[in-house]
Amino acid sequence: MAVLLYGGSALYSIFLLRRGLRRDNWLNYGLLALACAFHTVAMLKRGFSLQRCPINNLYEAVAFIGWTISASYLFIGLFSKWRSFGAFASPLLLVLGIFALMPGLDPPRGDKPNFSGWEVSLHAVLLLLSYGSFGLASVAGLMYLTQERNLKWRKLEAVFSLIPPIQRLEAITGWSVGAGFLLLTSGLALGAVFLTPPPGTSFFKDAKVIWSMLVWGLYLALMVSRWQFAQRGRRFAFGAVGGFVFIMLTFWGAKLLSNIHNP
Amino acid sequence: MAIVVWGISHHTAPVEVRERFAVSEARVPDLMHRIKNQGIASEGVILSTCNRVEIYLNAAVEPVRVLAELRRIVADALGCAEPAANECYAYQEPHSVEHLCRVASGMDSMVLGETEILGQLKKAYETALNNQWTGARLNKAFQRAFQIAKHIRTETQIQRGTVSVGSAAVDLAERIFETIQGRQVLVIGAGDTSEKTARSLLSRGARTVLVANRSFDRAAALAEALGGRAVRWDDWNSVFAETDIVISSTAAPHFVLDRAKLEPLMDLRRNRPLLLIDIAVPRDIDPEVNFLDNVFLYNIDDLQSIADDSMRQRQRELERCEEIIREKVRELLGQGTRGYGGGDGCPKPASV
Repeated sequence: MAVLLYGGSALYSIFLLRRGLRRDNWLNYGLLALACAFHTVAMLKRGFSLQRCPINNLYEAVAFIGWTISASYLFIGLFSKWRSFGAFASPLLLVLGIFALMPGLDPPRGDKPNFSGWEVSLHAVLLLLSYGSFGLASVAGLMYLTQERNLKWRKLEAVFSLIPPIQRLEAITGWSVGAGFLLLTSGLALGAVFLTPPPGTSFFKDAKVIWSMLVWGLYLALMVSRWQFAQRGRRFAFGAVGGFVFIMLTFWGAKLLSNIHNP
Repeated sequence: MAIVVWGISHHTAPVEVRERFAVSEARVPDLMHRIKNQGIASEGVILSTCNRVEIYLNAAVEPVRVLAELRRIVADALGCAEPAANECYAYQEPHSVEHLCRVASGMDSMVLGETEILGQLKKAYETALNNQWTGARLNKAFQRAFQIAKHIRTETQIQRGTVSVGSAAVDLAERIFETIQGRQVLVIGAGDTSEKTARSLLSRGARTVLVANRSFDRAAALAEALGGRAVRWDDWNSVFAETDIVISSTAAPHFVLDRAKLEPLMDLRRNRPLLLIDIAVPRDIDPEVNFLDNVFLYNIDDLQSIADDSMRQRQRELERCEEIIREKVRELLGQGTRGYGGGDGCPKPASV
């Protein structure tokens, strides 16, 4: 149901974007709120059945990332000047939803979950929240690129659309990247300090760990280039969008290749 | 008891007529007393602006008689001849209330959708309220009209966008910067349009205006008028790092600012966004600079085009606004749907 509603919202968003996103629109917010409600119920049901946070496999992980973006939008969408965020977020939520429902990502569980212990749960939650935060940054970055293009090409939408000013969008992109980076660093540090790899495996040879370090380095470079070398505006927005696209395209592969994270 | 309105506006009379019927603030009590003394109305509000004089009354007698008497009273009070029939207008309910809402929403203004009239109408109403010239009926109508104006402002695009070059610049600045407050504006060349544009930005909270002109005296004069600071022509590059908005309007026959000159300046600004408004003809700023990251260049045609498009946008919204007003006034007056207003587009109010 949630994916269907995300789909409805994405279709409606395309219509709104083609119309120049000129009017404050509660319908799209309502669709996403309803989708988020279904999404939350599904996560809770799965969580209660597992008796812990539902981030056990690739399906649950992707659903969790989508949920963090969706829930964040529900909050920021309460402010009218940010409601247009939904038109850019819903296609991403639809893509995440479809991906999560792909066959094979949610194999039947055995008697026991793949891992246990609060350290592992917290490690996974922090990492998935960081990807959610990077997702938000990519949506804000996409909005920046859209509005910047409107302004550069002197389109009327630059003045009439409800997209926030580009300086605010850049700030939001920056904060989201910063928050994501902090969560990612905390999650990785927690894993390195509190978790021990299963016998016969090593963190340094694990595809998911190497991939995570790559993502960490990528976002570190993005932040340093902004703060230290004044690579702001369009370049930073492209970086935020590109970073999340990279995560989405490689996340599943890294997880499937990992011996530790995909036993 | 019914609300009636009599008035003269820019739609019906030229300024030569309007100025004769303008009611100064000091003369409003006298005119209202004359109206009340005649016993034709129990409540009244007088609105007088540069574009209109309107008198809203709660008629105590037959509306047609009130309106006929009113023309004579106004002419007597102002010491001038009665206006010709085609120079004024008069409406009775429900069209009088619809007209009030239309005026409050800026739909009857010279610049469609402007908001200044709402403030003027509120002031006129407050004067009447403080002097106890209003009662339940006019209070309800005016307060409802203010609510409807607010509703129209938020639900339609009648007041969206901008209809002058100066305010187009402000709108663009608001789309680029988090806020205009605290922004530094640099005016290159001391022309009239640049002054107006700078004033528009100052009115929205811009922090400082710096003026650079080949003639330092003219720069100093304009800077003083704008409450800013003059900069020597050869020094304007030095203030660029802190500048957010540049308005250029010199008479130079060549580009004053080009890509080669701007690129190193953007490094000094650490690539913060920069809005360049080139209102000079021939142009002062090389269009190539728009290809630089974080630089947004608009020339006079771009600004005019935004203003024109905004006006067209507002006109397209008129029908929606009329529909809202008809519906809300119908609710206010508690009338049925049948026989009211008509549903075909936006009918002009019927004159009495």
